[in-house]
Amino acid sequence: MSTGEEGHMAMADRGSRKRRFGVKKGTKAARNKKLKSKPSSSDRFKVTMKNQKLFQKRARDYNSDEEEEEDESKKQPEVTIREKIFSDANMGPNYEEIEEEDGEDNDENSDGEDHGEIESGITKFATDGCNAFKIAFKAIMKKTKGDDTLGPVLSAHKHLIGEKLAEEEAEKKAKGQARKAKHLIAEKGHVKPESYLDSHEKILIGVATKGVVKLFNAVNKAQHAQKGLNPSRSKDAKVLKKRRKEAFFSELGKTKTDPKAQKSEEEAPAWAPLRDNYMLANPKLKDWDKNQETKEGDDFAAMSGDESYED
Amino acid sequence: MGRFKNNKKSRVIVKPIPKKNQEDVSHVTGDKIPKSFVFSRMKLPGPVKQLQMDLRKLMLPYTALSLKEKKRNTLRDFLNVSGPMGVTHFLMLSKTASSLSLRVARTPQGPTLTFKIHQYSLASDIAQSQLRPRCPQDLFKSPPLIVLSGFGSQELHLKLATIMFQNIFPAIDINTVKLSTCQRLVLLNYNKDTKLIDFRHYSIRLQPVGVSRRIRKFVQNHQVPDLRNLQDVSDFVTKAGYGSESEGDEEAATVTLSSDLGRVNKGSTKSAVKLQEIGPRMTMQLVKVEEGLCTGGIIFSEYENVDGKKEKLKKKQDEEGDEEEEEEDSEEEGEEGSEEDGEDMDED
Repeated sequence: MSTGEEGHMAMADRGSRKRRFGVKKGTKAARNKKLKSKPSSSDRFKVTMKNQKLFQKRARDYNSDEEEEEDESKKQPEVTIREKIFSDANMGPNYEEIEEEDGEDNDENSDGEDHGEIESGITKFATDGCNAFKIAFKAIMKKTKGDDTLGPVLSAHKHLIGEKLAEEEAEKKAKGQARKAKHLIAEKGHVKPESYLDSHEKILIGVATKGVVKLFNAVNKAQHAQKGLNPSRSKDAKVLKKRRKEAFFSELGKTKTDPKAQKSEEEAPAWAPLRDNYMLANPKLKDWDKNQETKEGDDFAAMSGDESYED
Repeated sequence: MGRFKNNKKSRVIVKPIPKKNQEDVSHVTGDKIPKSFVFSRMKLPGPVKQLQMDLRKLMLPYTALSLKEKKRNTLRDFLNVSGPMGVTHFLMLSKTASSLSLRVARTPQGPTLTFKIHQYSLASDIAQSQLRPRCPQDLFKSPPLIVLSGFGSQELHLKLATIMFQNIFPAIDINTVKLSTCQRLVLLNYNKDTKLIDFRHYSIRLQPVGVSRRIRKFVQNHQVPDLRNLQDVSDFVTKAGYGSESEGDEEAATVTLSSDLGRVNKGSTKSAVKLQEIGPRMTMQLVKVEEGLCTGGIIFSEYENVDGKKEKLKKKQDEEGDEEEEEEDSEEEGEEGSEEDGEDMDED
């Protein structure tokens, strides 16, 4: 799209090109207008170039004092002619294009050019008798000198264009604000640290370092003790196993199960009669030498219970 | 009779493609290695996407680094995939207009912890703020260690958080672990007053202690020193350089290594442990605990109504039975391997 536009520009080489064609790539209507006006403008251009000298001669002879009256009826065709001349003379058929350019300089320059080219057109019409055109044109030029952004446009369009401009600006502002708000929400909570180490961070690093040191010391203890032992030898494998188990139980013993159970296991032998508290702990067996007469049946029951106990 | 030559055209040579299968079960401890997915179910704005990437790098190597999620994927899809792949944890980021939240969940129907992230910093921000950012090549080849501090053992939801984080990273066995594989550290520090959890990610570096700075730098960097102003090499070696400020701090952090670690740190000499921050930095607050995977009854909620407490208390008691069993199992394996339990008791 852009290269097409550039080609178009190179082709139609017209004087100082401070305005870029095709800035608004948008509307179809605009493009069509351009296409339509293209052939007509080229025709017009040829005519004026040919009769340049004739026009200049007529301009010298022209006396403006003679024709002062305004002809109302001839205004209609003059409007259209004016349009065509403007399009011809380097201002572009798109009035919207004019809005986007900045600077009155462009307007003034091209107006100057227009003036030159149009004067020749004027003189032609002047000699033909379109005084009204001359007067109308001069009036417009006086008026449009004051305008800044809009440039020479038809009066009917001025208000609309002004409104459109204002609308677009308002839209842009609203969009910009919406984008800013969105950006703020996206960045919410994102904090870039200004200084790398402040006191809080130092504390945290200290805590983490302590943890690592503890771990490394534990690893060293465990691995250093194991260093001499080779896991392939069966004797050492047993030692390894024992160490691991001890470590495991010692870790557990920190919070949960008591190591007492272990101890009691080792101390008390497995066979009941070997225990020191044999026959004393069991309440039935305790008084075995006391009530024998009355509770023979019970004794028997107790004895039988005792047998199973012994086994 | 001629010998039939092996026609190379017809013989198909099959080269075995070495398949890089991640082990599911650790050879050392015999437990399942926990794997994780870090994703989000909505479109995230710029910096939050980077945070997600940073979290993925943090969880390496047992995570999907280039996981791609589509808009139409639901949680159900992720659950279905996680089964055969052995993924045990989900970390989900989500951003709303008011808050950014991280949900840590255990698959397939485990509890879900919801954290609200108050502040975060990206890994790139931290690297920019440092003078000498450090990232050695094989930093992310082994899983990080985890240090939890300040959580205490009283409150239920904090206990649950502790267990959850301990289980996200694979346990290490102190008898067989190689110190060269412990290169990263994740710190979670709970502050009782503000109820905020600080999340930091460090890289571990060991430096020999007791060696003058110049010699140490010379050995480490292989840079030929400038000897212009010296008369003799002995000047270079014996010159008393001014001690750095952190010499005093290093006293507490010295460790005697059991084996050689690289060229510089020899075994049975003292080395200092130095941590440098990499990776994202987050300040978060535990907001909600749910018993299902993003569903189910709410066990704990920061903004709970007083009325709803009684019903929830009953549910809590039911959960306590399950959780205690969980605790026992995981505490055993936790204490065998990882080291942070010591921290819990010290830092309280």
